[in-house]
Amino acid sequence: MKYFLYWGCSLEGSGANFLVSLKPVFETLGVEWEEIKDWNCCGASISYAGANDLAIKVLNARNLAIAEMSGGYDIIAPCSSCYIQMVKVNHEIQEDPELLAKVNEALSEGGLKYNGGVKVRHVLDVLYHDIGVEKIKEKVVKPLKGLKVAGYVGCQSVRPYGEYDSVERPVSHDIVIEALGAEAVEFPKKMRCCGSGIFLPEMEYCFHLVKDILEDALNHGAQLISTVCPMCAMNLEVYQSRINKALGTNFDVPIVYLTQLMAVAFGGDLKHDAALHYNVIPPEQIIQSALE
Amino acid sequence: MTSYDPSFAQEVFENVDYGEEIRMCMQCGVCAASCPLSMRMDYSPRKIFLMIRAGKREEVLSSNAIMLCTSCYSCKVRCPRGVPVIDVMHGLANYALRQGYVPRKKTAIFGQEFWNQIYRLGRIDEKDLSRRYFFADGFTQGIKNSLEMADMGITMFLHKRMKLLPERPIKGIKDLRKMLDKAAQMGKGGGGAV
Repeated sequence: MKYFLYWGCSLEGSGANFLVSLKPVFETLGVEWEEIKDWNCCGASISYAGANDLAIKVLNARNLAIAEMSGGYDIIAPCSSCYIQMVKVNHEIQEDPELLAKVNEALSEGGLKYNGGVKVRHVLDVLYHDIGVEKIKEKVVKPLKGLKVAGYVGCQSVRPYGEYDSVERPVSHDIVIEALGAEAVEFPKKMRCCGSGIFLPEMEYCFHLVKDILEDALNHGAQLISTVCPMCAMNLEVYQSRINKALGTNFDVPIVYLTQLMAVAFGGDLKHDAALHYNVIPPEQIIQSALE
Repeated sequence: MTSYDPSFAQEVFENVDYGEEIRMCMQCGVCAASCPLSMRMDYSPRKIFLMIRAGKREEVLSSNAIMLCTSCYSCKVRCPRGVPVIDVMHGLANYALRQGYVPRKKTAIFGQEFWNQIYRLGRIDEKDLSRRYFFADGFTQGIKNSLEMADMGITMFLHKRMKLLPERPIKGIKDLRKMLDKAAQMGKGGGGAV
């Protein structure tokens, strides 16, 4: 099956370990993909401060229109924000043909047109529904035996549309974790928000959100936390030392992308395939101990 | 004697993206209970909606609540009346800024710089965005902000999580700008740049 892979801006920078580990995982699973030609940013969750809603929709519709006319394959968006921005446009134009007409009036300024025919998929959706747990299990050569992983879902990967999983009690992340031989830790805060795109300007408030999530995962026995979102990874991992300083906590919990765990379990190189050395809080020791 | 003034509600319905959706609000407060930052807000989303109906224009447009949305969508999935609370809050933030209110300066600057960069390049260059955000309040404050966050920048660089090459505009940038300009004009309430 062939897809477009729309990795977005973060995965070329702060979320680089997501993209580096995603590629060998897709290769192992036989997922064929190509890049959307000359793609643009999705606007993420903060663009409303600078643009009205229609402009943000048109921004996303440009990517969708390019994908539609160059093959129309489903688009995989690993970044939750990219995912939700594009899914939102699709949902709203399906309910409102007038909106589609408006979007197209703006797109025509650049010679594009969108008919609403491209599906946008989250990477978890593709792993869980298209590839399936059985195939993932088949590819595991180094099971992550006994590794206690908190599968942090956060916000924008399932909310608000719940296209592939429950919006309140999602299971796909945990099922993939268990397919790798690890143990998915149940923790009540798995759906709480980390602060997302306003973390940097609203740090003092958002520190408390992350503190609650980390504490909850640890209290339920997690050795590390897995995520599928570059903002969750940034806020939970890179800010951890600042949170310790500001709130007097003592967190030292590695945050990894699910695809990093998959790359390891598929027998990939810890650096070259799993990009574990990109992580600020080193996860190598904990992961290695599960492999022995 | 004071009475409710419906003119602000009308203004919101006509000019704010998703503003007309608040007509469905029944004041149950599920949005407020679901919001991760509602305890930091001067008024919860539920109260904001009530105040719009009560004509509290100044209080609403200068409220920190409309700028503290983390976009987690909890309110939108849980609202029993299907009000897209998050979208209304974003619409209100956009409208307040257009009207010259600046409820949360840092967040407003961050969001505006984010959009400016999309308009300029078509993509986000994280290091450049941080620099512009840090220096938005002048050179001295910029140096101070940069020094305060320097450890994080170095950490990201050392862990290969910083794109080193400067971001260049996408090939279709001129067309993209034309599309965005058009959309800005066509937006609700006349739109236009902030």
